[in-house]
Amino acid sequence: MEFRDNKAIYLQIADYVCEHILLGKWKAEEKVPSVRELAVEMEVNPNTVMRTYELLQNKNIINNKRGIGFFVDESAIENVKGYRKVQFIDDELPVVFRNIYLLNIGFDELKAKYETFVKENFNV
Amino acid sequence: MNNTFNINRFGLLLKRQWLDFGKIYLGTLVVLIGIIIGFYSYFIPSIHSNNITDYDGNLDMRFRYGLFLFLGFLFISIIASNYFNLLGQKSRAILELMTPASVFEKFLSGIFYTAIISLFSYLLIFYLTDLAFVKYLNSNIDAFKGINPKVTEAQSISHQLFNDKNYLEYCGYFFASPFLITSIFLLGSVYFNRFHYIKTAISVMIFSGITAYIIFKAADILTSDMVRVNHGNYRNNGDSALLLILLITTALTLIFWAIAYIRLKEKEV
Amino acid sequence: MEVIRIQHILVYYLTNTVSMIKINNLNFGYSKHKPLFKNMNMQLSNGHIYGLLGKNGAGKSSLLKNLAGLVYAQSGTLDVMGFNPVKRQPALLEQICFIPEEFYLPSVKIDSYVKANAPFYKNFNHTYFSQLLKEFDIPASNKLVNMSYGQKKKFIIAFGLATQAKLVIMDEPTNGLDIPSKAQFRKIMASVLTDDRCIIISTHQVRDLDNLIDTVIMLDEHDVALKASVDEITQKLTFKKVKELDESIIYAEASLSGYNAVMPNYHNEDSKLDMELLFNAILAEKIKFKPLFN
Repeated sequence: MEFRDNKAIYLQIADYVCEHILLGKWKAEEKVPSVRELAVEMEVNPNTVMRTYELLQNKNIINNKRGIGFFVDESAIENVKGYRKVQFIDDELPVVFRNIYLLNIGFDELKAKYETFVKENFNV
Repeated sequence: MNNTFNINRFGLLLKRQWLDFGKIYLGTLVVLIGIIIGFYSYFIPSIHSNNITDYDGNLDMRFRYGLFLFLGFLFISIIASNYFNLLGQKSRAILELMTPASVFEKFLSGIFYTAIISLFSYLLIFYLTDLAFVKYLNSNIDAFKGINPKVTEAQSISHQLFNDKNYLEYCGYFFASPFLITSIFLLGSVYFNRFHYIKTAISVMIFSGITAYIIFKAADILTSDMVRVNHGNYRNNGDSALLLILLITTALTLIFWAIAYIRLKEKEV
Repeated sequence: MEVIRIQHILVYYLTNTVSMIKINNLNFGYSKHKPLFKNMNMQLSNGHIYGLLGKNGAGKSSLLKNLAGLVYAQSGTLDVMGFNPVKRQPALLEQICFIPEEFYLPSVKIDSYVKANAPFYKNFNHTYFSQLLKEFDIPASNKLVNMSYGQKKKFIIAFGLATQAKLVIMDEPTNGLDIPSKAQFRKIMASVLTDDRCIIISTHQVRDLDNLIDTVIMLDEHDVALKASVDEITQKLTFKKVKELDESIIYAEASLSGYNAVMPNYHNEDSKLDMELLFNAILAEKIKFKPLFN
C-alpha cells in the first residue's frame, strides 16, 4: 500500500481496514488478519498495526477474542460509517467548505452537482 | 554451556576454520610437494656423474638436510603467518569475532592448525617423498655400483630418525624450535594488519640482532681482564648448552603464544 | 482518543520494563583526543525496532560495534542481556545477529557455509532459513562468490535472522538492495519483530525504513540527541504542510507547495512523522527540542 504523506500511518491502516469492511471483503464475525500478517503486508512495524487494532476495538469495529485473534464486529459496518462520518466532518469538510466559500459556489448548484454525481456513480 | 572451553564447540570451530584456512593450506601444501620433488630430482646422485658418495660411502643425499630445514622454516612460517591475517581486514574480522566461540577456542584452533597440523604434515610429506626417492635410488644401486663398486645404499631420513640414537637425542633438544617459529609468525599475524610476513621477519631480525649484540657485549664485559683457569678435572659438558636452548625456545614459544592470545582478545575492528 | 492513548502508554511502559541493553556513562573514541561518545546513557528494550540516525561520523556504526563487543570503550559500562559484550562470550554471541555494512563471505556454496556456521547457534532454524532465501529470491544452490553484492547482503540477513538471535543489529541494511529487495526486506523485518527481540537498525536512507521504526535514536555531538518513540514524537510534535511561516513553527523546509513544517502539537493532531524533516530539525534547532523530550 502507498501511504500518503500527511496522515499518521496507524490511521491510514485503520482506513484500509474500514475500506475492506465497507466493501464487504471482510464480513461481520470473520477473522481479520493478525497483527503480524497485516504488518508484513503493509511493510510496517507490528506495534503500529497494534495501535490501529486498539483504535478499531475502541470504535467497536473489530473485537478481540482472547487467544484466537481479531474479528469483524457484528455491527462493524454501522460503526465504520459512524467513525468515518466523524472523520469526514472533522477533517475533510472544512477543506471543502473553504473552497465553497472562496469560489462562491451556491448551495443549489452544489445540490444539482451532488445528485448527478450519485446518479452516475452509484446508479441510484 | 561453558563460556571458555567446550569440546563440541571447539570441534565445530576447527571444521569452520578449515573452510577458509583449508584452501590456503592445501594450496601451499601442493606447492611444497612440487618444490621437494623438484629439488630431489635435481640433486639426487645420477649415474652420469662421478661424485655419488658421501664421506661414509653411501649414496650422496647430503643436500636434503639443508633443504629440510630451509623449506620447513618457510612452510611453517608462511602457514602461521596466514592464519590470523584475516583479522587485518575489517569485514572478515567482524565475521570471525562474532562467531559464537570463545576467544580461547579461537586461539587454540590457531595453534592447532599452525603448530600441530602444519608441522605434522610437513614432516610426513618430506619423509614420504624422501622415502620414495631413496627406494627408487636403492632399486638402481647396481647401476651406481658400475661407477663406484664400493657404494652402499642410501638411507631414508625416517630410517635414520628411528634407528640412529644420536640423531634422536640431538633432535630432541631442538624439539621446541619449530614451535617457536610458528608462535612468532602467529603473533605477527595477529599483531600486524598488513604485510604480516615481511614485518614479522624484519622484527625478528632486529630483535635477534639486538639480543645477540647484548649477549656478546655482556660476555665481553663480564670476562674482560679475566683469565681462563683450568682445573684439570674440568669436564666439557656440551649437553647443558643444548638443554639451555631447549628451555629457552620452549619458554619463548609459550611467551609468544600468550602475547598472541592477549592480542586476539583485545582485537578491535 | 484519550482512552487509547492511556492504554497505549500503559502497554508501552509494561513492555518497556525489561531493558535488554543498558549503557551507562559510556566514553568512547578511536583516539583519546577525539572522543566520539561522552558519558552516553541509554537503555534499549525488547519488542522494538530502533532506528539509529545521525550525520556521517556521528558514531552510528561505532555505537553498534560497542554493543556487539567489537571495540573497547574507554570507560563506562555496557550490559547486553546481562553480559559484558567485550568479553565476547559464546553465550552472548549466539544471541546477536550483526549485519555490518561491509561484510565478507568465503567463496563456498551456501550449503557448506550453513553447515559450518549454523551449528554454533542452538536455535538455528533451517526451514525458516530456506523460507527466507525463497522470499529473497536466492537459489539455495548458489555459490557465495558468484552472487552480487545485494544478493550477498540478503544472504547474510537471512542467515542472521535464521539464528533466531534476540538482538538484531543492522548497519545500513538497505544499502545495495534494489527496489524489490527493499520491499522484501521491509516485509521480513515486519515479521521478525517479536516481544523478546530487540532490533536496532542504523540508516541514512530514512525513507526506506521509516514505517518500520517505532523508536528513533539520534546521535549528535557525542551523545544521544533524541530517543523517543514515534508515538511520543507525534504526540508532542506535528508535521504538516503550511502555506506561510508563523511563530509556532520550530523548523520548516521550503517545498513545492509551501513549507514542510514541524511545530508543537497544541491541538492533539495526528500527523505522520516525517523522519527526514525531524532529523534536519533537530540538527538545526537542538535547543528548542530539548525541553520537549526529557
